[in-house]
Amino acid sequence: MNSPTELFEVFQISQPVAPVAAIDVSGLQKRYRGGALAVDGVTFGVAPGDFFAFLGPNGAGKTTTINAIVGLARFDTGTIKVFGHDVASDYRLARQAIGLAPQEFNFDRYLSVEEILVYQAGYFGVARDVARERAKVLLRQFSLWDKRDDEVAKLSGGMKRRLSLARALVHAPQILILDEPTAGVDLELRLELWDFLRALNRAGLTIFLTTHYLEEAEQLCNRVGIISQGRLVALDNKEALLAHQSHSRLELLFERPLDSLPVAWQGLQVTLEMDGRRAIIHQTEVEDVPRILQASEAAGHRLQNLHLARRNLQDIFLELTGRTNA
Amino acid sequence: MNTTGLATLARREIRRTFQIINQVIWPPIISTLLYVLIIGFSVGGRIESASGVPYVVFLIPGLVALTVIEASFAESSASLFQHRFMNSIQELLVAPLSAVELVLGFITGSVVRALLLGHLLMLFLPIFTGRWPVHPLLCIVLMTLIAVFFSAVGLIMGLWAEKWDHIAIPQTFIFTPLIWLGGAFTPLTLLPEAARPLAFANPLFYLLDGFRFALLGVAEVSPWLSITVTTTFAVATLSVALQLFQRGWKLRV
Repeated sequence: MNSPTELFEVFQISQPVAPVAAIDVSGLQKRYRGGALAVDGVTFGVAPGDFFAFLGPNGAGKTTTINAIVGLARFDTGTIKVFGHDVASDYRLARQAIGLAPQEFNFDRYLSVEEILVYQAGYFGVARDVARERAKVLLRQFSLWDKRDDEVAKLSGGMKRRLSLARALVHAPQILILDEPTAGVDLELRLELWDFLRALNRAGLTIFLTTHYLEEAEQLCNRVGIISQGRLVALDNKEALLAHQSHSRLELLFERPLDSLPVAWQGLQVTLEMDGRRAIIHQTEVEDVPRILQASEAAGHRLQNLHLARRNLQDIFLELTGRTNA
Repeated sequence: MNTTGLATLARREIRRTFQIINQVIWPPIISTLLYVLIIGFSVGGRIESASGVPYVVFLIPGLVALTVIEASFAESSASLFQHRFMNSIQELLVAPLSAVELVLGFITGSVVRALLLGHLLMLFLPIFTGRWPVHPLLCIVLMTLIAVFFSAVGLIMGLWAEKWDHIAIPQTFIFTPLIWLGGAFTPLTLLPEAARPLAFANPLFYLLDGFRFALLGVAEVSPWLSITVTTTFAVATLSVALQLFQRGWKLRV
């Protein structure tokens, strides 16, 4: 993937004149017919230029919230404004400002790779010659130029991800909404996509992203919202969220897998990795470490290595969503 | 009005027709040709006359109308259902397109396919019978109204359907019986006596009779009545389709 310089020559990312939130969600509530409350009174704002991570376990209400913002879902109460435009009453301007790369691929199977971009721009009102020009730039940008006449079905998973991102950008939106943008892509492409998204964000594009890779959020984003069971449980700058508590995370590597946890570890939040050889103990105080080590030794587990780490987003996520695994 | 968006959707629909031309354009042309040759000439040769014209002449308008009905319904219902089924409908739903633009975009695609076929099939009239349409302008207007009517029905079914099988329901259980009982292939006088009054309650009868009047100048009821009924049904079904799109029924969860 190339650097997005050429992209910025073609796409002038316009900034709003008045100070207005890029996304303003207020009291959003959504109940699916005959089902549970998917989103229960969610309120948050995303400022222009933010790189916002929207995190939560499966079924927490992330995609429902996104769908409400982009117009794919109706909602019961609350308001959503995109750069000041109400997504219901002023939907044309609201949608014009957003580029969406959804989690599940949803390409039109009757169109070729290039046509997907040209037609999508057309649906957004972009004249055909301009759309063709932009498609060309984006296809080169995302290393898809050689595939431009192919059917989408012939693309690899990584190529489809790139096409999805290109399609989200083709009408030159001010906000990019990415639902799991790196799901199913290899490490190399993931790092390339990260660089690319950082460059877009630096150029002024507001980015709103959901991800299962908490490292991704930690690396890229400046603000974080965490949703659990339809409710927002955290909303802060990433640094503030990480600095909020002094707890650390203790990682213990044992010689052999733990078949059961030492009795004295009861009450600790433990995640096992590497078939049970590595135990990660979340929210540990430094003074607890000797007691934890004594307990494992008393249970006959021989320690090979230990690491006391600064709290990361995963710890916070687990703590706030009450899960033991992300 | 997002005219570029509307035009792009219409272009996409028309493009789809030409991509599956062997499925949707050639088969109705070939089957209509066979109907004209076998039923129209061979069997029809044994029928004295129908509504004052040779049977094959009587038959052609019915076959053209039938094809227009099938083509417009199939295009909009299949295209919309496929879009929903593949989730690619989301490409349209996130775009700044209004319900009116979405409906018009799909309907334009269907009407173009139906009119293309209808015009090709109308050529069978001069080719095989030496006659030309008596009221050519009315032909085009009625053909368009019929196509709008059934494209709108197709859109409604494309929204309602949860599986491919559902799309076939109206065709099998509603259109086909109504077309056969509505005088597409036989004048009312040849229908069983008991079925005749029923024909007047059948909207497709007026639609077929009006179209036959436009092509041949012969009709069983006043062409004005036929035009009124056809227009009413086109407007009514179009309004229902628009309403459903406006509400986002089965589109926006």
